[in-house]
Amino acid sequence: MIEIKEIGRTFNTRDGGTFEALKDVTFSVKDKEFFSIIGPSGCGKTTLLKMAAGLTRPTTGSILIDGEAITGPGDDRAMVFQSFVLLPWADVLTNVGFGLEMRGMSRRESREAARPFLDRVGLTRFAEHYPHELSGGMQQRVGLARALAVAPDILLMDEPFGALDAQTRQLMQEDLMRLWDSEQKTVIFVTHSMDEAAYLSDRVLVMNTHPGTVREILDVPLPRPRDESVRRSSVFSELTSHMWHELRGMMGDPTAPAPE
Amino acid sequence: MVGTEQNTVSEPGVGGRSPGRVRRGPSTSDLARWSVSLGSVAAVLLIWELYGRAQETSLFFVPFSGVVAALWELGQTAEFWDAARQTMIPFVWGWVLSLVVGIGLGLLIGTYPMIEALTKPYVTFLNALPVSTLVPVAVILLGIGYSSRILIVFLFGVIEVTLNTAAGVRYVDRDLIEMGRAFNAPRWRLFRRVVLPAASPGIMAGVRIGTGRAVVGMVVVEILLVAVGMGRLILRYRGRFQSAELYAVVLALILFGILLQVVARQVERRVSRWKSEVEGNT
Repeated sequence: MIEIKEIGRTFNTRDGGTFEALKDVTFSVKDKEFFSIIGPSGCGKTTLLKMAAGLTRPTTGSILIDGEAITGPGDDRAMVFQSFVLLPWADVLTNVGFGLEMRGMSRRESREAARPFLDRVGLTRFAEHYPHELSGGMQQRVGLARALAVAPDILLMDEPFGALDAQTRQLMQEDLMRLWDSEQKTVIFVTHSMDEAAYLSDRVLVMNTHPGTVREILDVPLPRPRDESVRRSSVFSELTSHMWHELRGMMGDPTAPAPE
Repeated sequence: MVGTEQNTVSEPGVGGRSPGRVRRGPSTSDLARWSVSLGSVAAVLLIWELYGRAQETSLFFVPFSGVVAALWELGQTAEFWDAARQTMIPFVWGWVLSLVVGIGLGLLIGTYPMIEALTKPYVTFLNALPVSTLVPVAVILLGIGYSSRILIVFLFGVIEVTLNTAAGVRYVDRDLIEMGRAFNAPRWRLFRRVVLPAASPGIMAGVRIGTGRAVVGMVVVEILLVAVGMGRLILRYRGRFQSAELYAVVLALILFGILLQVVARQVERRVSRWKSEVEGNT
């Protein structure tokens, strides 16, 4: 279980003041749960994810994994990035094996160990290609395979499909769903797409902005395994319209009802 | 200096593709560009030749063919090769030293802000100063032996290597480093597998430019103060108005410089290939 406890984060601004990005954020994510965080830009959702990754520290509060406070990155977690962040000088196989190489495997061992993960994301034929030769969707599959290859308990995904076009994005969501059904990992998934959050998640955290706080946590009562058809269900559309109602109030839309 | 461009891989454009650079002018084939370069050199040499032949005396200006002939003659003498060796030994030492120290120091400066702060005054000082002005100082300190010439060649080369290496490290894509940290990479492995390859285009640019500067240093020190090796030949032929031989020695030095540049550029191209490919070729 991941426990986020009273997290606060303030930044110093240029003019000497302080800016409160996150305030008193508390929630927990269960084992094997697919948990999404949604909120308007600047609500601190990515910052929150980076704290869970151990890349940045909260100003106040703490994050516990199975009861232990995290102090930095760990072998139990792996991250998938919005901009893919692949090594441009290394081929696909070396990229997928990167995490293993960082854990002490030789280049050759890590490449060998990476192969099954490449198969799993359907890129077997592209093992020797370079990132710039691949489409965005394929690059992110490499990013996903790289994260899966280190066999993490927890997968941290920072708007992983945010840079992809709509069609690719939908395909990637379906593939991720299939992978998750077979792997059953704890996932924290940051997104700004309501469809994506509803389709993938067990629960969705909706965040307020300025400062980022927990607005509400929604259950997604859709049966699993899920396929395309759930997008047409009434539960799905009720969920997404509820999220939209919550979010548009924060987007400075004057026609929206005032947030209570 | 390289490394100022954003690493286009991290750009979240649609499809993750780099947004294709705007080309200046119509694209030309390699063959066409080579032809123009060679044609240009041929034209200049022809003008040189004709102008040289039109002179009444070969005291000051020698046609190109005369210079080539003189170089051929010189190449047969033991004195020429002896001079070349005398020039080469301190050059190679100073040059290799400038690469080793420059890359090492550049990596440290690019990585640790404190080391940058520590070394900045001296780097700025050396960068602002024509290194030639240090030739008398080096000679006073170390005499006119190998060590002072090694020092001058070193000083000529080391700054460019250091600055370009440091810039290469400093402009490594932050996202790549964060990614490495997210995968719990130990410092050394992160450096070896992420920082070093990402900085390699900057490092190689430093090697190429520094090599050119080291060649300049090699000639300057011999002409300016220590009349040995090729420099002594130049001074002697100048004194005797043996212009053909004088130009021949200069030509030999130029050819040597070009050779090193070509080698350095090939190595650079190989090491930095990924970068030009990512950026959609040049």
